Amino acid sequence: MGRDQWKAALRNPVGAVAAGLLVLLAILAIVAPIIWGDAAEETDPAALSQGSTSDHPLGTDALGRDILFRVLVATRYSLGLALLATAICVGAGLILGVLPAVLGRRAGRLVTATVNLAVAFPGLLLALFFAVVFGVGARGAVLAIGLAGAPSFARLVQTNVAAVSGRDFVAAARVAGVARFRLIARHLLPNIGEPLVVNATVLAGGALLAFAGLSFLGLGVQPPAYDWGRLLGEGLDRIYINPAAALAPGVAVVIAGLAFTLLGESIAQVVGVRAVRRRQPPAMPPAAAAAPAGTDAVLAAEDLRVAFPAPGGGWTHPVDGVSLTVRRGETVGVVGESGSGKSLTALAVAQLAPDTAHVTADRLEVAGVAPLGRTGAEVRELLGTKVAMVFQDPMTSFNPSMRIGAQLAEVTRVHERQGRKPALARAVDRLRTVRVPAPERRAHQYPHEFSGGMRQRAMVAMGLMSTPELIIADEPTTALDVTVQRQVLRLLKDVQAETGAAVVLISHDIAVVGQLCERVVVMYAGHVVEELPVGALGAAAHPYTRALLASVPDLATDRERPLATIPGRPPDPADRPEGCAFAPRCEFADDVCRTRPSLAAVGPDQRAACWHPRTQPLDLALDAVTGGQA
Amino acid sequence: MRELSFRGTTVRFGTGRSALTAVDGVDLVVPQGQVVGLVGESGSGKSTLAKAAVGLVPTTGGEIALDGAPLRTRRDRRRLQLVFQDPHASLDPRMSIGESIAEALPGRRGRAARAAEVARLLELVGLDPARARSLPSGLSGGQRQRVALARALAAEPEVVLADEITSALDVSVQGAVLNLVRDLQRQLGLTMLFISHNLSVVRYVSDVIAVMYLGRIVEAGPADEVLSAPKHPYTRTLLDAAPAFGVALDDPVPADDARLDTEAPSPHDPPPGCRFHRRCPIGPLTRPERTICAETDPQPGAADRPHRAACHFATEILEVPAR
Repeated sequence: MGRDQWKAALRNPVGAVAAGLLVLLAILAIVAPIIWGDAAEETDPAALSQGSTSDHPLGTDALGRDILFRVLVATRYSLGLALLATAICVGAGLILGVLPAVLGRRAGRLVTATVNLAVAFPGLLLALFFAVVFGVGARGAVLAIGLAGAPSFARLVQTNVAAVSGRDFVAAARVAGVARFRLIARHLLPNIGEPLVVNATVLAGGALLAFAGLSFLGLGVQPPAYDWGRLLGEGLDRIYINPAAALAPGVAVVIAGLAFTLLGESIAQVVGVRAVRRRQPPAMPPAAAAAPAGTDAVLAAEDLRVAFPAPGGGWTHPVDGVSLTVRRGETVGVVGESGSGKSLTALAVAQLAPDTAHVTADRLEVAGVAPLGRTGAEVRELLGTKVAMVFQDPMTSFNPSMRIGAQLAEVTRVHERQGRKPALARAVDRLRTVRVPAPERRAHQYPHEFSGGMRQRAMVAMGLMSTPELIIADEPTTALDVTVQRQVLRLLKDVQAETGAAVVLISHDIAVVGQLCERVVVMYAGHVVEELPVGALGAAAHPYTRALLASVPDLATDRERPLATIPGRPPDPADRPEGCAFAPRCEFADDVCRTRPSLAAVGPDQRAACWHPRTQPLDLALDAVTGGQA
Repeated sequence: MRELSFRGTTVRFGTGRSALTAVDGVDLVVPQGQVVGLVGESGSGKSTLAKAAVGLVPTTGGEIALDGAPLRTRRDRRRLQLVFQDPHASLDPRMSIGESIAEALPGRRGRAARAAEVARLLELVGLDPARARSLPSGLSGGQRQRVALARALAAEPEVVLADEITSALDVSVQGAVLNLVRDLQRQLGLTMLFISHNLSVVRYVSDVIAVMYLGRIVEAGPADEVLSAPKHPYTRTLLDAAPAFGVALDDPVPADDARLDTEAPSPHDPPPGCRFHRRCPIGPLTRPERTICAETDPQPGAADRPHRAACHFATEILEVPAR
């Protein structure tokens, strides 16, 4: 988190109030005893137990001491004791929490079990117990409150340490031979600091309250010393005579407690994840009048843009003017690296883009429906049965607590209002279509009982519950082993042949796309840079496409030669270069490339967005595509 | 650099019904100055084998030895260094990359000596030494993986184990990291165990290829021979399934036979006999007379077969793949 975020936190009301109160309390704690210390001790025999007067705005106590001064002066002692108790709590909690990571397995378990047991005791009960053990008085109360809070803090530390210990960098440090204590000090604690700081701040507020409580009960600060809790106790005896004597210390406790809690809240806001608020989208040029639907286009997108609110204001466009047409029954592959906008394009087409995204297009038609500008319910109604999605990780796209069969059946029950039995029968039938063995039995199983490949088959089956015109598969085989990948790709091919649905396959692997698709769309930095038939991959014209093809080793790559590489890295969507986005990494770039090229025909059915399209055949890919490899 | 050897290495997780033998009696030698590529599907135990070597998971049987001397203490294990799959997770986000590398340097040395060594290592992996102070968040995936390699080399290891180090990278970056691995290996004469699920990647960097299936090494031999004349039907299946241009999905391969299981068996309950027999294109599901595959474990005697193949029919010449 940067300095800016802290500044922003100060500007927000919660942060501003917290900071204001804390500064006030800190000044009081330092200054009040110096200025009013003597005045607060001064007894005035002429004014015993008075109410509010001009000399004593909040009245006096039984010895005639001014209550306002005493409340102000007590700030230092009250806060000091609370912070001391918090320090003890955090210190003991850290030690107990980190011990299991330092000790061996057995001793560690013992510590964990002890802490768990202590957490089960109510904190106040522990505090009272310790107060008795350590004796009545400020010292006893500090130890009591500190130690009573330690178990829950220790538990928090343990949980966080356990989460971070599981991460690779800790394993890497272990392998590198980093000693245990250094491991804790350098790798574990810094990475769990944020939740701990937030929690400690809230703890301080709690300690303040607990202290006031103990003093009020007479278990805390003993006379002649005084803190807010004791002032409150004394004032309460005379609440009907002089309410201010009880209210003033009470208000002080509330304000200080509030200050700590609000501080914790603002720290949490800065270090934690904040929800992005929906912002008014930028003004877009008015969409051109919808062109008449292409006769055989199942997907037609023109100048599709997806915008997200940028952290510093303004908008970023991960998808920046993509035009894409998919004909009925066609198989199109969309290739690109992470951040190229390929998945977001697919999600936007299927109306599944995240809520914060703003999707615009000059024209967008999916299965004869123009979804932009319609409500979510209308779109679901129109597209629900026409578009099927297959995601990378089918584990997260199935509800883990619902049987596979029931989840498939739900599709027809919702969209076609079918009864439970016929819907389930259809689910079993579709599972059989995608060659899930023993479909009757497996329909009654839960997603976790399916292997990755079987889940992906079930996902395809789900798309087949109705008659989709378009199947969008977003990296459907990336999480799968090669043997299973081959099966799933073959399945998609069969389904496509049987149903006549168009398939859009999104993948980072150009070889996978080459196997399944007829046409390839190459994306880079939110743009389509080239569009060509699979057979023409060997004649790819865009330098990026060519580099992609050359940089991936296959089973025929010459092992004696270094692999082709692309220098640099893909641009950040928020910071794309002017003109051609690939130019900074392109060996052929010159001044012309500062203007953005648009897709232009470079061959039969082949278009490239490049000022310097290559015409030389690509030896490696050409060989492979024509199958001419030994 | 020395020779790393696994002898009957076994790693078992859990007890009772939930017990899982992730690595089951693995014998494997990584000869000095060579790269052994270990391929296999997810769940085959290849990562667990590497973690066992560096001591991140305890072994339940067998031994792991460096030049014949078993590795026992933490100090011993430090002579092996592991590079992790995901460079976004394997570098401490709060530590500058220079500190991360310096931490792995063995022995005590002065501040200036450490800085010089860090600079040398960064240069070695193709990064600007001036970046030593940057945090991992300012680096791309490929650059982070270079840092991870530099950290492994900082510990002056005898053997480097690389666990799927290009899987989390974009394809345009993968090539550069593979080139680096190859250059470093040749330049420094590294002894390496290079683990990947991707045959093409393993082929590019390895001298020897070992294939792992359900916790066991089913075939191992010189890279060219294993790929051009595999002796185990599983290796053949992997080769057939690797996507390549010009090979249509429609062209059937032996493993597409509808009589075969499409899924790998559960590692909790491996099948009797040969563990691959229910998916084997030349096994009992296609040739009913081969009952031996379902009854007798082919692992014993593997050492006498070509490529130490764990297959009763390893001597039967398998068709050479079409590519």
